[in-house]
Amino acid sequence: MPGKTRRVRHTFAGVGTRSLAALLGGYLVAYSGTLCLAVYLPLARPDRAVWASLASFALWALAMLLAFACRTPLRAWLWLAGLSLLLSGSAWLAGTWGMRP
Amino acid sequence: MSLRQRLAELHGWAGLASSWLLFVILFSGSLACFDKEIERWMRPLLHTPQPIEASAQQVLQWLEQHNHAELHAIWMQPPAPRQPYWRLIWETASGARQQVLLDPQYAQPLPASVGGEFFLTLHWNLHSGTPGMYLVGLAGMLMLVALLSGLLIHRRLIRDFFTFRRRASAPRAWLDLHNLAGVSALPFHLFMAYSGVAIMVASYMPAAAQWLYGSDLEQFATEVSGSYHRDELQRPGPASLPVQQVLEQAQARWNGAPILWINIEHPDDASAVIQVRQRNDSTIASPQQHLYFAAENGALLHHQQPSDAYQAYTWMTGLHKGQFAEAPLRLLYLLLGLAGCLMLLAGNQLWLRKRQARDGQPRALLQAINAGVFQGLPLACLALLWSNRLLPQHWPGRDALEAASFALTWLGYALCCMAWRHHPARGRRWYLFGGLAIALPLLAPLQVPGHLLTSLANADWALAAIDLALLGAGLVGLYVAQHAARGPRTC
Repeated sequence: MPGKTRRVRHTFAGVGTRSLAALLGGYLVAYSGTLCLAVYLPLARPDRAVWASLASFALWALAMLLAFACRTPLRAWLWLAGLSLLLSGSAWLAGTWGMRP
Repeated sequence: MSLRQRLAELHGWAGLASSWLLFVILFSGSLACFDKEIERWMRPLLHTPQPIEASAQQVLQWLEQHNHAELHAIWMQPPAPRQPYWRLIWETASGARQQVLLDPQYAQPLPASVGGEFFLTLHWNLHSGTPGMYLVGLAGMLMLVALLSGLLIHRRLIRDFFTFRRRASAPRAWLDLHNLAGVSALPFHLFMAYSGVAIMVASYMPAAAQWLYGSDLEQFATEVSGSYHRDELQRPGPASLPVQQVLEQAQARWNGAPILWINIEHPDDASAVIQVRQRNDSTIASPQQHLYFAAENGALLHHQQPSDAYQAYTWMTGLHKGQFAEAPLRLLYLLLGLAGCLMLLAGNQLWLRKRQARDGQPRALLQAINAGVFQGLPLACLALLWSNRLLPQHWPGRDALEAASFALTWLGYALCCMAWRHHPARGRRWYLFGGLAIALPLLAPLQVPGHLLTSLANADWALAAIDLALLGAGLVGLYVAQHAARGPRTC
């Protein structure tokens, strides 16, 4: 049954790329989001560090959901890459102010 | 594909991919709620109560006599109601770490055993060190995502909770069981998955520490937890450590509160520091206001003041570990954890049966892996307990043999499942589990002081409960096996 094999292969490829996006891209989003929170939360440095780190897993989980909520795997990758760039870029903009005590 | 279908795909694949690993983590974590009780069960010398007489000084003396390498650090945990023994851990300058449990009367080592701690280690790093810890973290994230996506794809959360069509077709019954077990314990599992991953946050997500503190991770640790550290001076330290004097000072400050841990950092160096932690069984997280004393004169060096966020973190991890709780609440933890195991098992079966019903292929290989994990792990745990009772107590390397019987039983059983994967009577193999579980408290402990009859007579409920739980688990095993023998569609 060539049709069935193709469908199975298609599913595996789709799930595979999405899973990769969810794991790697999702971690990148979580990492960048943690940076952003660690810089901009209105708290003292140790509190910023801990709260931002604790929030990271929620960001990762949401990013994983996003990777599967997008209509195509390509869109998933674009969304996650865009979000990571946006979040890490905004953390980078703060410069040394982000490391205030 | 609709949004719901795509999320269902995520739920299915994340769940299936992590179900075997998560079963190991949830099952061992459930048992670890009673790690200290199992520890005592596995060490017959502790079955009869002993007077608590050994002092910290005696424990240090034992270490002096038995260790000749240069020490990097020592950790000592005094006896407590749930753990009537001294725990001594030491790390040499070369980084090798060892642990021994000492009896509370003479501070002599207890006969070797892996103890209840075996399940705790299996829970958080699969006995595989750092790689295992990362693998467990990944499984925890997959659990979190599977729970969230499962919640989102659910149409009728409340109605499904009250639905269990046991006699319906196989996928339908498994779906109901999956929903029942999953939904009833959902808040618990969400919290456990999140807080479980968060315990190791410093390893899993170092972003904030790296960005805010650059390469100075020591400053990160001191600022966040408020801990204290003295750099080594490379000069020989004091001839004896004033541990007793330090403990008296600490207890005077804490109005006589008991001690949780005594840590000594580089005890052989002139910069040695004695750190004392307070035990408080009425708080979710153990108090983090540790005291640091100078080893040369016993003077107070530092009173720890952790940051607010760090206290929130320890509260979260304390709630995860459940060690603050009395036995009934820990029993609830255990039951909710087992409900999680049931959710994994039913979800996994649902995934398989749905596909079987669609194309008629039996998927023997997956079923063999399922049996190897879902039946193999409980069986291996039983083998561990059996070997603990059968091996003579004073055999050297008894702990290694216990661990080997766990590993070999599991491996052997998994290989048998693989070899007989086309054999339909998987469910009947629960007879093996049931028989072994019932026989253990009845037959094996005749030479052990604390068997079921004596512990019941002495009202030693912690000890009796483990034997009773084995009997209960055995009866459940027999019931499942018999149920499977009647109907063709169980696991």
